[in-house]
Amino acid sequence: MTENWQRVHPASPFVHGWLAIVGLIWVYWTSTDELSWSERFAGPRLGWTAAIGVGALLVILVFYALSWYFTRYRLTDTHVYVNAGMLFRSQKQARIERVQAIDIAQPLLARLLGLAELRFDVADGSSSVMRLAFLKKERAHQLRGEILTLAQIARTGTAQPPAEVLAQEPEQDTLPEEEPARHPEAVAGASGQLIVSKVPAGRLLGSLMLRVPTILGVLFALFFGIMVVLGNAGALAGVIPALLGFGGWFYKELNNSWNFTASNTDTGLRISRGLTDTRQQSIPSGRVQAIKISAPMLWRALGWYRIEVNALGLGDESDSETLVMPVGNFESVCQVMGILLPDLGVPAQREVLYTAVTTGTQHGFTSSSQRAKAFSPGAWKHQGFLETDSVLITRYGWLARVASFIPYRRIQGVSWHQGPLERRRALAGVRVHSAGGSILGYAHQLDHDRAGELFRTQARRAAER
Amino acid sequence: MQQTEFTGVDPSYYKVRLISWLINTAIYLLIALVPLALKLFTLDVPLWLVILPPLTVILIALWVLFLIRRRVRALGYAEREEDLVVRSGVMFRKQVVIPYGRLQYVEMTSGPLERRYQLCKLTVNTAAGAATAVIPGLPAQTGTDLRERLAAAGEEKMIGL
Repeated sequence: MTENWQRVHPASPFVHGWLAIVGLIWVYWTSTDELSWSERFAGPRLGWTAAIGVGALLVILVFYALSWYFTRYRLTDTHVYVNAGMLFRSQKQARIERVQAIDIAQPLLARLLGLAELRFDVADGSSSVMRLAFLKKERAHQLRGEILTLAQIARTGTAQPPAEVLAQEPEQDTLPEEEPARHPEAVAGASGQLIVSKVPAGRLLGSLMLRVPTILGVLFALFFGIMVVLGNAGALAGVIPALLGFGGWFYKELNNSWNFTASNTDTGLRISRGLTDTRQQSIPSGRVQAIKISAPMLWRALGWYRIEVNALGLGDESDSETLVMPVGNFESVCQVMGILLPDLGVPAQREVLYTAVTTGTQHGFTSSSQRAKAFSPGAWKHQGFLETDSVLITRYGWLARVASFIPYRRIQGVSWHQGPLERRRALAGVRVHSAGGSILGYAHQLDHDRAGELFRTQARRAAER
Repeated sequence: MQQTEFTGVDPSYYKVRLISWLINTAIYLLIALVPLALKLFTLDVPLWLVILPPLTVILIALWVLFLIRRRVRALGYAEREEDLVVRSGVMFRKQVVIPYGRLQYVEMTSGPLERRYQLCKLTVNTAAGAATAVIPGLPAQTGTDLRERLAAAGEEKMIGL
């Protein structure tokens, strides 16, 4: 199957560049600030205003038309091509069999117009993501399905000897249990995917209300509100920045987590989410480097958790953690973990997971030394670690409790730390680092000898292949 | 950790640290002496503002000076079979282990002061930003050799991500 070059949806340049139009109008408006409404659109000015307006519109339209004309894509049996730009041409291509996953994103305006953008996650070592924007939503889904099917055929065609596969996919692990990671999403978007967790709007809002920034925001608002009521009108000046800062955080969290659905695919998790900007994202299990399950202070009583992962090559978010569950109970945690990390390396998986997200020394967990009591009165019992056959689990945190999971073969480096006060009490800590984000294994304030032992075994594990 | 034999850094690195200590102290002291200068220009500056900043700077500087020699002596690295270990710190002690297989690239830098004493600094990077090992104060030749050895070991034992 070789398709001809095709163009994207004609409205695409507008969706890309609507800000430019808004900007121009804003510049016009502020630079004619001194004029009244009637002066702008009446009398001798009207002619000029209309002429300039039409002229600007024409220029913009010509640019948009050219931009649209030069943006083309083509799908062949072996490659996907995306060309763009008239002056600065960019020609991108991706070999089909290296396409790991395709995300579908819908920024607000695109969503209103029923358009969608495709983002290709390609395992070729390049850092920039290949994007194709915008297509009709149905067309985007159809194209995504086609490409992923082709990718599947290309990979399972067994035309390549294994050695070549290995050489071509340096980012991929070559361990046997990683095998499924090379066959992402057989028939993508096919029905019958198991939905592992869907976050209801009520619970999401509730969970956000119980976060510390929300509570601080509300307290601030109350404080300033009371000041204003008491006749101190100047306090109003404090409200606006506070509202902006807090509102920004709240909106971002809400937009990231709204309508959050995680489903199980052959290779890992598939996530769709978004309030104004919707986004669909695939997280192949083979890309997950470390997992963090955290319980913010006020969620603990409710038994709610949040899961983030360090993952490699997920497009523009490659340097920060990726949210895979905004809020959920222990049952949801088990389901998500069952996909991200099916093998904890212990027989009693569920029980160990439960001990990891709560507190206790069952199942072989080692906690901080008693001597750490003075340094972390509220957390020393919770702090601890467990070395299973395949994963290092660490627990830390006082108010917000965190459990992090790092598979041994994802360890990039290990470090050992000891401060002056810790030395006096014969304590030391070990940190285990992984790629793709800031999640780390953090075993804090351990007995000095135990820390040394952990440090040595982790260093040895990290070097194993 | 006791069984690992660490190689210390070049003793002349102490001089590099000493000179940069002098420069830093001079700069901070100059800033701390601003109130005194203002007072000399017959401005009304409270006495504590004249005395306290230079005194603080001098005390901290002396404390750092006292630690420099031990800090330099605490620096060390060990090339083991499967990994590189780097040790540092007197008050806050730290050891970092980087398996050769995880090594991404080795960076060699040397500032003007270090160049005067034919020293260099090696930075060993992995895919994780936090897992980075820094060895300062290596003699230039040792640094080059170590870099070559590390690169070779990295290539031989490479593990994909």
